[in-house]
Amino acid sequence: MKRFDLIALTRVTIASLCVWAIAACAGAAVGSTGAIGFVSYDTIMYRLTEHVLPASLIGAALASAGVIFQAILRNPLADPYLLGASGGAMLATYIWRLNVVASATWIATVSPHAMAMLGALAAVAIVLLAAGWRGRIEPVTAILVGVIVSSICGAVFMLLNSIYRDLPGTGGLMSMLAGDVQTTASRQQIQLSIITVSAGWLILFFLTPSLNVIRLSDGEAQSLGVRVQRTRWTGLIVASLVTAGAVAISGPIGFVGLICPHVARFFYGNDNRRLLPFATALGAGLLVLADAIARLLLANDRVGTLIPVGVITALVGGPFMLVILMRMKR
Amino acid sequence: MTHVLRAKNLTVRLAGATVIDNIHLDVTPGSITALIGPNGSGKTSLLRAVLGHIPHIGDVDWFAKPLSKWSNKELAKRVGYVPQAPTSDVNDSVIDTLRLGRSPHQSWLGIEHEHDDRVVESVARSLELTDLLSRRLGTLSGGQRQRVFLGRALAQEPTALLLDEPATFLDLRHQVELHLLLRRIAREQHVGILMASHDLNLVATHADTVMILKAGQCVTTGPTPDAMTSESLTHAFDVPVNRIESDGRVHFLI
Repeated sequence: MKRFDLIALTRVTIASLCVWAIAACAGAAVGSTGAIGFVSYDTIMYRLTEHVLPASLIGAALASAGVIFQAILRNPLADPYLLGASGGAMLATYIWRLNVVASATWIATVSPHAMAMLGALAAVAIVLLAAGWRGRIEPVTAILVGVIVSSICGAVFMLLNSIYRDLPGTGGLMSMLAGDVQTTASRQQIQLSIITVSAGWLILFFLTPSLNVIRLSDGEAQSLGVRVQRTRWTGLIVASLVTAGAVAISGPIGFVGLICPHVARFFYGNDNRRLLPFATALGAGLLVLADAIARLLLANDRVGTLIPVGVITALVGGPFMLVILMRMKR
Repeated sequence: MTHVLRAKNLTVRLAGATVIDNIHLDVTPGSITALIGPNGSGKTSLLRAVLGHIPHIGDVDWFAKPLSKWSNKELAKRVGYVPQAPTSDVNDSVIDTLRLGRSPHQSWLGIEHEHDDRVVESVARSLELTDLLSRRLGTLSGGQRQRVFLGRALAQEPTALLLDEPATFLDLRHQVELHLLLRRIAREQHVGILMASHDLNLVATHADTVMILKAGQCVTTGPTPDAMTSESLTHAFDVPVNRIESDGRVHFLI
């Protein structure tokens, strides 16, 4: 790999923007009902703001958080939900839906999206506090505690589900569970997410040189000038905020945060300074395309229903990415 | 400056056990100081303690400034460290690994400059890594990999170098070459080198000063020929060690 100077930074920025722009064009060409083509300026703008923007936001958030989690937790299987973000969001949304709880408390006053964000943040906070209660956070402990807290959230969810069988409302909940871009989130919620994700992303980008070193042992990283614990805490907290920003408007969408960093790695090796922007673009692009496919399928008479975008990212993106990985591996 | 590193009354306790017991240690610029002693005598702990990787009691001064006053980054610009078993990702390329050594010198976003390239190139040349730069670590021999990690530390442009058994994975020729290289680095670039070692003969030939450790305590320390006696080594290692001198060189038989 050549040295990472301003030219290299510009290059990776342009490559990332191109990847995203191609996907965005495809996304803008597909209408809500599956009609293809650029009809008018207004429809394109509508599709961009209603479909491409939220999908890009979520994909970018998940993929960038994935890069950070994989680097800090030193685990190639780490995804943005490893520290409990999806479990917490699911449980919180479910609680919001429960009439018993919701009608009686302040919960009724917040939107389900804010509730998802709060749930994700609460779960991650519990994980980080439990894993780092002595001030030091170790990757293996963080992963273990994350898995435990996620499992507990899942168990409570199932418990509540078997007690209160009949849920008020319909499709909304399922979409919250499977992950969906066809969001009912309010404008304010999307704006809040945009701010969270972009501010968080910038912080993460400034963290990337340290992440290149932190992959090594603590001693080596420290002797290369990195404040290991501070980098770990900052990275995990900010990446979790970014994840929560995405989960709030879409529910948990699997796969994007796990696989995009790996595909980017085949272009840029282990250099997180290049990985982060490119993986972010891949994530945004992948989700825009998946969302466009969902709308195309909606128009098809045989499908006729909106397939959760998380299903499409895994079903369509999965084999595609697998092929890339296999080809590159040689 | 007379000392690169000066440790006074250094004590290290890990999980209740005293692994370093009241040690005084000086490392001077342009010289090689070797730590020898059996396994568990505290060589690695001593290195890690003076680097601030593990907590210590007593004074540690780098370049006449207490360790606690140094930021990681500032210290990393002047002190390079190669642990016993450096982390190696088989997919990392040699040049990227060497470049990591430049990271303490980089500012925001880790932007690199031409100077960084020049340092990496000259390090690669001195370690005969130039032909291997695009290879991945997984394809290298143990000895080549060891040179890469030494190169990563040298790319920091350090004035002090701490090495934990750097010759472990090397064959005879590379062991000798490594020590000659370390001596050249010490003399020419005025670097103070502190290394833990197992090889008595190499230490006897190449180190200027020796500290012999046993159970966290200093058995003896001083200029190599004076400190490395049959008695001190026999006492430290609990096996009889014979010292033989021929052609003005010292050899040890076990």
